[in-house]
Amino acid sequence: MKTTIRRAASSAIPRALRERRLLQGQQGFERRFLPWAFLAPLLAVIVGVVGYPVARTIWLSFFDGEYLQSGPFVGLQNYRDIFADPYYTGALVRTTLFAAAVVVTTILLSLAIALVLDAAPRAARVLSVIVLLPWAMPRVASGIVWKWMFDDQYGVVNWLLVNWFGLDSFNGYSWFSTGTPAMVAITVAVVWHSVPFVAVSLFAGLRGTHGEVVEAARVDGASAWQILRRIRLPMIRPLLVVMTTISTIWAYQSFDHFLVMTTPPGGPDHSTEVLSLLTWLEAFAQLDQGSAAAMAVVLFLMLAAVSVLYVRLNREDVR
Amino acid sequence: MTSLLRRGALFLLVAVIVVSSLFPFFWMLVTSVKPDSELFTRTPRFIVTSPTVERYTHLLDGNIPTQFRNSLIVAVATTVLTGLIALLAGYALARYRLRTRHILTVVILVTQLLPQTILVIPLFTLFRNAGLLNTFQGLTLSHLALTVGLCTFMLRSFVVEIPFELEEAALVDGASRLRAVWSIVFPLAWPGLAASSVYAFITSWNELMFSATYMQRPAIETLPVALQQYFSSYYTDWGGVMAASVIFTIPVVIFFLIVQKRLMQGMASGAMKG
Repeated sequence: MKTTIRRAASSAIPRALRERRLLQGQQGFERRFLPWAFLAPLLAVIVGVVGYPVARTIWLSFFDGEYLQSGPFVGLQNYRDIFADPYYTGALVRTTLFAAAVVVTTILLSLAIALVLDAAPRAARVLSVIVLLPWAMPRVASGIVWKWMFDDQYGVVNWLLVNWFGLDSFNGYSWFSTGTPAMVAITVAVVWHSVPFVAVSLFAGLRGTHGEVVEAARVDGASAWQILRRIRLPMIRPLLVVMTTISTIWAYQSFDHFLVMTTPPGGPDHSTEVLSLLTWLEAFAQLDQGSAAAMAVVLFLMLAAVSVLYVRLNREDVR
Repeated sequence: MTSLLRRGALFLLVAVIVVSSLFPFFWMLVTSVKPDSELFTRTPRFIVTSPTVERYTHLLDGNIPTQFRNSLIVAVATTVLTGLIALLAGYALARYRLRTRHILTVVILVTQLLPQTILVIPLFTLFRNAGLLNTFQGLTLSHLALTVGLCTFMLRSFVVEIPFELEEAALVDGASRLRAVWSIVFPLAWPGLAASSVYAFITSWNELMFSATYMQRPAIETLPVALQQYFSSYYTDWGGVMAASVIFTIPVVIFFLIVQKRLMQGMASGAMKG
């Protein structure tokens, strides 16, 4: 509120103009040098621990890399190898299905929660803190808790399914002894962890849509559902796209939950191996740096493609 | 009547949301204080009749305090460095019309969508060669890669919100640019710093892949690694791992609750910009 007043008071002269005038009035040294001095630490981090590793991983993916040593140049051999490896292609398909399930569930649940928060304005403040709380629980800890809740003998999930929903087949049901149920259990745990951030962001976005347009539509007799479908959701569409992008990237990178909840990691019998886990095991258990680098590059390209796709989608919708 | 029905439905939905958000926290806590006789029952017991803190005292006698300290060192170092780096960079991006601004924005954005697996191998060799394996410095550096991008964006949007007139006044009065940043922008960017701090702290505290790869000596192990290893070897000691998980979770939850107001503001302003 205060800032609006202040800004309104001084808006006579365009801000950019005054800024430029003031900066021009300063010494050239400060104008040229200072912003880069401010940016230097960030650039150092980006070059040193992001840029260099990325370039190096791409480089390594073209070399033989047994025992984490750089061997001879092998061209695209590592890429051919991983795509010929059924464990890798299996993990690729599995991760994609898992990510799709996580993203769809996360977005739908988050939207529902955001709408509930929006419908209860007086409680919204406290509720959004409660909703966001699971985001703060360390992934390792949440993986352990969910594994305990999915325990075959003493887990609350089976107890709930049998006693509340009458599904007797879940009596003593073992979630982690085969691939598909294990993936389902892990999906639940990952969704629980990724919903909070998305839900609270969507809620913040929805809150910004109350205004003249909605008010006018209401006066014209539009129902709440019509207002939601035709006005409010389209208004937060860019945000929805951003959140879908973010949760897709998160889901494709899932690692912690899989490492914690499956024994051995990615088991039983490789049936829960996802890309991040497989890449990490390839590098630091199999010590095959070349293949692992190739896997990392493929994942990176996939995520980049997904992001570009979503950005395009967003732009076309605006037009 | 319909409004009563509507309120009832809303109340029910709110209850479902609250229970599903909080139940795992509650269950973790309850499991950690149940004696084994109450723990392994076919019908879960939601109320503990004779709670025990034995598991906690046992854990506190072990390695957990050291691991806790290790995690805290790395998370605090990451948070402070991230705040400093991101505030300076966010300031530069918000206030100066750099010709390279758009390229910089794209570069920073790209760092946020990189999979950790593309960084983990070269950083391992880099740290090994530089003697940074098994050091807090190395792990902190690797965590900065995960935090600085988003935090720079957060702080940039906060600095944009601070009226330039305030600095202008100081600059006209003859203060140096650094001085203006320090005494005017820094205090006003505080909500943004709080939001980015909680993000940096939680990211670092929870991070597993880098920690498991670069910290392999027991003495400097951080909590996520220790807990993961303990769990994979003794996963039937449910009470014990739950107690350790509680100890692991408490600091982030406390930190989160302290700055949650600021965090919400940060997220709300982020959402507005979409």
